[in-house]
Amino acid sequence: MAEELVLMDNVSKYYGRVRALDGVTFRVFKNEIVGLLGDNGAGKSTLIKVLSGAVRSTGGTISIKGKKVDMRSTADAIANGIETIYQDSALVTQLSIARNLFLGREPIKGPGFFNRMDQAKMEEVATALLKRVGISKNIPVTTPIGSLSGGERQAVAIARAMHFHSDLIILDEPTNNLGVAETQGVLRFVRNARDTGHSCIFIAHNIHHVFEVVDRIVVMRQGKVVADDIDPKKTTVRHVEEVITGMSESELRSAVAH
Amino acid sequence: MQRLFSRPEFGPLVLLIVELVVFQSINSQFLSVLNISNTLAFSVELGLVALGMTLLMTSGEFDLSVGSVFGLSPVIMWSLFNSGALPLEAAFVAGLLIAALIGFVNGWFVIRLKIPSFLVTLGMLLIARGTALFITDGFPQRTWDASGQWLAEVLVGDFYVGPFRIYMSLFWFILAAVILGYVLTQTKFGNWVQASGGNPGAAQARGVNVGRTKIILFVLSAVLSAFAGIISSIRTSAANPNSGTGYELEVIAMVVIGGTALTGGRGTIIGTVIGIFILRIMRNGIVMVGVPGLAYNIFIGAIILGMMALHSGLERRHQSGN
Repeated sequence: MAEELVLMDNVSKYYGRVRALDGVTFRVFKNEIVGLLGDNGAGKSTLIKVLSGAVRSTGGTISIKGKKVDMRSTADAIANGIETIYQDSALVTQLSIARNLFLGREPIKGPGFFNRMDQAKMEEVATALLKRVGISKNIPVTTPIGSLSGGERQAVAIARAMHFHSDLIILDEPTNNLGVAETQGVLRFVRNARDTGHSCIFIAHNIHHVFEVVDRIVVMRQGKVVADDIDPKKTTVRHVEEVITGMSESELRSAVAH
Repeated sequence: MQRLFSRPEFGPLVLLIVELVVFQSINSQFLSVLNISNTLAFSVELGLVALGMTLLMTSGEFDLSVGSVFGLSPVIMWSLFNSGALPLEAAFVAGLLIAALIGFVNGWFVIRLKIPSFLVTLGMLLIARGTALFITDGFPQRTWDASGQWLAEVLVGDFYVGPFRIYMSLFWFILAAVILGYVLTQTKFGNWVQASGGNPGAAQARGVNVGRTKIILFVLSAVLSAFAGIISSIRTSAANPNSGTGYELEVIAMVVIGGTALTGGRGTIIGTVIGIFILRIMRNGIVMVGVPGLAYNIFIGAIILGMMALHSGLERRHQSGN
């Protein structure tokens, strides 16, 4: 088996008496794309929020590369090499692509007054990064994020994660509200990220998108992991739907019919 | 060329030029040496306040207490000096420190207690103005004892450049504009200021200390207001506890007319400088062309509405990627 990157061991999260996560054990290995599936309320989002430091778990441990870590904030997660990309929320629309890429870690040109940014270097690196992530259109890196399409914004966020050597990139519904061509673009960015040594967790409602890109599927139901080693090449969408809902094919049909 | 048109400063610049042309064509005394010298002297005092407000508003906050601090700090400085409690230099520093404390308290309430800056600084507006009135019994403090003191010379001393009477305050204004323009556009801190206003959650996640950034800007805004108020008190030979009343709204108008977004994320020092002159020249010009001064606010209101329409149009084009 490949080297283990993330281990969430027996993690629980209670919201009052509601068990959002119930003793979940979840692994991500190096260089793989994991598809995380589950119906609404299955616990996917909570799991991701715990891993990305947005909420704290009630119990259990998280280890990164075999070392236990305490995720108290999103900044902690980023420091541990975990980058979460939510649609739109991770970028500042008024700032340029280059400035977004380096936000919080701006290269400094010395000896300048008041930490002068090295804008030439930022733009040079940003241009190279856009090429690497696979944006084919020629977009100047001084363009504000606000004038990019949804797919291009995803690309910028992925490029940033790649550049700052995030070991794990979490994509929460990255293909929502995107057109067919844009979706293909984002799937390509994700594959590129994997091929250059990053692991990804891919969450999407559209199971077909998940099938196209992931190496392994994990399914959650009612706060528990019910399957964690489904190979998309050896199964069908229909079978995965059964695992997600916990119903057999005939039950599914009759549920739809009613 | 296309890029020049789409810059937020372009519309205000055109308006400023139109103002100058119209006023000069109606009254040839408008661009006279005396009038230019006087307008510059008045403009830069409010201008200093507007520069600090530009950075604060870019970070997504604003400060309604600037006018009161503009009145309070000189009152404290001159009360301390006139009573013999402190030498002039120390009284000056005390005036600025009080302002810094006020800015810090504003920032602390907004960041730590998560109270909107509108409410926090409205409260501070009343506290600062009330304090200024209370400690003076409502009477102006004399400042003419300062004449001949080096500090007064450095702050508001005047000299002639050709026929133009230039006050030192113009130099302080230009220095502040250059430094703050540089900080906003060229430095890491400036990038953080814009990010804090544009998307504080994203900025925080990238390791930007949004709270500290905003508190620094609240302090800066208050200190610049105090500095401007002290300059004004020396130039007019009186520290009036009522001075600066209503400045907060005029300053916010200057900033937004220049192209800084009220909602944060986008700010321009050049735009603010243009906005300062648009309003001050309007105030001066309509009097000189014979419009009753009481009608001033009608023009200011119309300019604000017109400029906001322009900026929002530009913003929509910007967002749609054209």
